[in-house]
Amino acid sequence: MTQRRLWIAISWLILSFGFCGPVLAHESQPGLLELRQLGPERYEVIWRAPIYYGRPHPAELQLPPDWLTVGEPTLRQLPDSALHRRVVDVAGGSIDGSVVRFPGLEATITDVFVRISRLDGSEASLVVRPTQPYAELRGERPWYVASGEYLVLGFNHILMGIDHLLFVLGLLIIVRGRRMLIKTITAFTVAHSITLAVATLGYAHVPGPPLNAAIALSILYLGPEIVRVWRGETSFTIRHPWVVAFGFGLLHGFGFASGLSTVGMPKAEIPLALLMFNIGVEIGQLAFVILMLLAYRSLRVLEFRWPRWLDFAPGYAIGSLGAYWTIQRAVMMF
Amino acid sequence: MKRSNIVAPVAAVLLAAPAAAQAHLVNSGLGPFYDGALHLLLSPGDLLGLVAAALLAGLRGARAGRLTVTALTISWLLAGMIGMRLPVTPDLTWLSVLSFLILGVLVAFDTRLSPLAVAALGALYGALHGLLNGSALAAMRAAPSALLGSVLTVLVIALLTAAAVVPVRVLWARVAVRVAGSWIVAVGMLMLGWLAQGVA
Repeated sequence: MTQRRLWIAISWLILSFGFCGPVLAHESQPGLLELRQLGPERYEVIWRAPIYYGRPHPAELQLPPDWLTVGEPTLRQLPDSALHRRVVDVAGGSIDGSVVRFPGLEATITDVFVRISRLDGSEASLVVRPTQPYAELRGERPWYVASGEYLVLGFNHILMGIDHLLFVLGLLIIVRGRRMLIKTITAFTVAHSITLAVATLGYAHVPGPPLNAAIALSILYLGPEIVRVWRGETSFTIRHPWVVAFGFGLLHGFGFASGLSTVGMPKAEIPLALLMFNIGVEIGQLAFVILMLLAYRSLRVLEFRWPRWLDFAPGYAIGSLGAYWTIQRAVMMF
Repeated sequence: MKRSNIVAPVAAVLLAAPAAAQAHLVNSGLGPFYDGALHLLLSPGDLLGLVAAALLAGLRGARAGRLTVTALTISWLLAGMIGMRLPVTPDLTWLSVLSFLILGVLVAFDTRLSPLAVAALGALYGALHGLLNGSALAAMRAAPSALLGSVLTVLVIALLTAAAVVPVRVLWARVAVRVAGSWIVAVGMLMLGWLAQGVA
């Protein structure tokens, strides 16, 4: 009984976090800037600005003043983004050292991938974060710099994914015993790593809206299971939580893949990006699990108690939030 | 002598940090919730007293810990909400420093206060710093979820710290907790001294 009550506190903690504005939906896709050299001094600039919570993205692309636009820029509206294209002439032909800015990005949670491909066949890429909304263009980065960028990207992606975290929390509440906990978390990790790799390498693609609805459904599924646990009942999920974690983990992996765009990425960099992004996700997930277990232990040490009627609250709350997201995301599909 | 050599640069960093943080809300790149959490983590004036209150509560046992964590968090949230609506204009830096210095002294002396008294001190500290924190967030035009982020960070830090100290029974470990309190006092005295000289 005490254990149930302790999880209530932790669940409310997470749920209150879940109701924090933009964190809710976890729909922010990364932006993409492609710079493709067409001639000695000519470059094609493609700026894909993702739709940001149903609206045009607030960030703009600001090119260096000495880049002269040739012809008319074009804009194509895609279902999930706005595609801006223009051709520019760069005096001297070299873009190294130029600074491209993204005013407005600092007020968002969007990362931007910058990809450069030159006539000599060389390619380079970098990641721009809202904390530093500009890119200083340069040649290839050392592997460890790129690794660090993708690691941070993966870590941040899981922190922003309240739906993924809520699913993990639901599993933590259901699971009994240390061995089963390790088994369940490992199953979830293995499963989402598989689909993250499959999606990133381009072997499979699941469209965003139905995927998001299915992820929300996985959270909704856990709500009644939590209530069953607290009623002392049993079910397949309660007996074998690792199977469910594996099954839904496959789904969540496709969701993680939305945070990593490999479009235009140098081919040699894709395995590194995938590995480091996944490690970042795992570190974030592990940090969350450890924090939850520490909070659980702390509540036990301090002997927190509350009314019995609150016992079922987390199950209903997780289920309700899952239902809300499922309906919301299902509606968005049409 | 050796300690003062360490404390001085640390305090200098601590003093510099809030000033920089007050210019605009620190950008975590993860939205206002995490911005609020990071704002608190980068405000040593808030953090030191928070840790001191949790250490004091932990030293006084589970009940004191439970009451203090609850009172401190709730008062921080309520005062923060008030601060966001009605920002405090006078500079209360000295009061802020004095508050964590006093808590540090109580930890250093392992003062035998009742659980209710410790919780009351925690509530007072939460109210003062919640108000200042809320006002700072309002000045930075932060979203309400930034306050929620900072309050949840307060809760987690207070909870984990108090629970880490409650089971401590061996003498040397309790002395270590008290030494942590004395460091908080040292930093507080240094900051007060600099405030008096008009450095901060």
